[in-house]
Amino acid sequence: MSILAEAVAVVPAIFSGSTWDMRQAFDADGMWLFCFVFTFVGGVLAHLMYRHIPFLERHLERTTAVVMYLIIAGIICWGVIDRFVFSNQWSGSTTVPPFLFMVMAWFACSYNVKLRTHLSFSEFRSKMPPSGQMATLTLDAILWFGFCWIAITTSLRFTALSADNFQLVDGVDDVMKWWFYITVPIAFTLMSGRVVGNWLEDWNNYKSGDAIIKQAVIGGDV
Amino acid sequence: MADSTWITLISLGVTIFFMLGTPVLLVIFYWVIGISFVIELPLANTGNELINVFSKGFALLAMPLFILTGDLINQSGIARRLSDFAYSVLGWLRGGLAMASIAACGLFAAISGSNSATTATIGSMLHPEMVKGNYDERFSAATAAAGGTVGIIIPPSIIFIVYGFLLNLPISDLFVAGIIPGSLMVLGMMTAAFIICTLNGWGVLIGLSISRMIKTGIGAWLGFFAIGLVLWGIYTGRFSPTEAAGVTVGFCVLVGLISYPLNRVMGSSSDVPVEQKSYGSMFVVEGFTVPQIPSIVSRSAQISGILVPLIAVSVAMQQVMSSLGAKDFIGDFVTGMGGYYAVLFTSMAIVFVTGMILESLPVTIILAPILAPIAASVGIDPIHFAVVFLVGASIGFVTPPYGLNLYVASGVTGVPYFRLLRYIVPYLIALISVWFFVALVPETALAILPDR
Repeated sequence: MSILAEAVAVVPAIFSGSTWDMRQAFDADGMWLFCFVFTFVGGVLAHLMYRHIPFLERHLERTTAVVMYLIIAGIICWGVIDRFVFSNQWSGSTTVPPFLFMVMAWFACSYNVKLRTHLSFSEFRSKMPPSGQMATLTLDAILWFGFCWIAITTSLRFTALSADNFQLVDGVDDVMKWWFYITVPIAFTLMSGRVVGNWLEDWNNYKSGDAIIKQAVIGGDV
Repeated sequence: MADSTWITLISLGVTIFFMLGTPVLLVIFYWVIGISFVIELPLANTGNELINVFSKGFALLAMPLFILTGDLINQSGIARRLSDFAYSVLGWLRGGLAMASIAACGLFAAISGSNSATTATIGSMLHPEMVKGNYDERFSAATAAAGGTVGIIIPPSIIFIVYGFLLNLPISDLFVAGIIPGSLMVLGMMTAAFIICTLNGWGVLIGLSISRMIKTGIGAWLGFFAIGLVLWGIYTGRFSPTEAAGVTVGFCVLVGLISYPLNRVMGSSSDVPVEQKSYGSMFVVEGFTVPQIPSIVSRSAQISGILVPLIAVSVAMQQVMSSLGAKDFIGDFVTGMGGYYAVLFTSMAIVFVTGMILESLPVTIILAPILAPIAASVGIDPIHFAVVFLVGASIGFVTPPYGLNLYVASGVTGVPYFRLLRYIVPYLIALISVWFFVALVPETALAILPDR
């Protein structure tokens, strides 16, 4: 089968509802092509969603991360109280939080892409002329896009494998691991939306002669 | 083209990316991807690590919780009370505010576990006062940057959690082992501040007032209680480090929410000078309201969203380096140096040089699994080596060109990065002196371990 045919075969596999079919289709090389298109189209759609629904633009990733953070803290804190006061402990108190942590981390990572707060050495970049700054920001956008592409492809494969193996979260009944894993490609799709939005913003600033690189502040926009 | 040529070209390429300001996360990720192509490792290896790093254990969860603790104690006003206490104890000495700033970093570090949170919190609080108090603004910014290094040595500590997680060492032992070296770092930097301020005549002396000291000590009681709670829980084995973090978060949230209405009733505003406050009102901090909690947590989530992906790609990088034979190469090099001290000092040199160009988390994740077994093979205690390694990694936060604390301090104080570099040198000398002392005297790390 050609790579194009393999990529096309991913679509019916997703809608078949069979984890076995999905896993077979995802393992093919055509999955890379499918995910390239998916990352690009998903990114553009996510960007359009953010542009037309400012509430989601401001709150979606942040709220997800905050809710997960609070649940993690709540479960662990309650676990200690439960043990000391009631001599009891929920069996999922040590196994569920790492999955919530994963959800929190990737949504927060996506939000940091929007705020451009990922650690970098920006001394030379900030001293470049506007065209140089635009070129480096375009390079960033391409690299972020590639990061999202690889992460979406591999995490979808990982998720399908987990679903196909009926992997359960240890210590709790009827909670599947893939329910958490599927949030990773979702977070990376939102991240590609941020990449598209950032690049368009930079390009508009460049064309209008406004400052392209602004000081990013951790904890800003909170 | 030979593999080695490709590897060199890829390494040069990502170095150029780094110099052009590409985020460190992407620099490491693309190095891993590039090398994976050359040595024919499947890309799934790297991609899966973005998920696997979380499912490996509960221990890593302490990291986001201690980051949140830092933000909660800052927002609730506990951090301000700790720094007031430090100033009332040290303000009568020449350079007292600079020394108080470093001592406040040490106290803040004993509740939080993050170097950048320590630098940002103490820097933004005390830098304006240091400038008002006749200190050079570049020295003031450098003081905040240097003080932040103890954030990851005095327990609890994010980087100790990562180290213990990677090398399967008890994190509670690592925490306890960090107490004396962290305190020595604080003392070393305070000495440096005293000498520099005395030579330059910086600072305004305040009278030594016992009543002020007692009052601010009472004001800081919640901070001392939180420090005691963390240390007691971990030292006695009542909590795992992750649980200690969860309990501290719960404690800080409770304190913040209860204090807010009490503070309004008692009229204990932070704007009122300590002298004008009653002893009773000092018991209560400013606190926060329920609607403020999401914005506090959001800030912590942002920091976690920076550090955790960096850990994931660094673990992948470490695996690729193992496949390249870097472990054997560095191992042969270090082992070839000779016995106990040669291995110790060579490891320290490698950590120091790498820390200048890489963030401390990747340095730890990449080098610790290589150097620690070699150190153990020549008889260096694993806990002692961990402390030596991590004190070195923490010094990497203030070594240019890539010193994270220098950037954070520059960001919160507004002093340009290159201007504060000269003033970090005295602190660097103090930190390196303490580092050698800790390396040569293992008891500094091992003496107070519960099982020794």
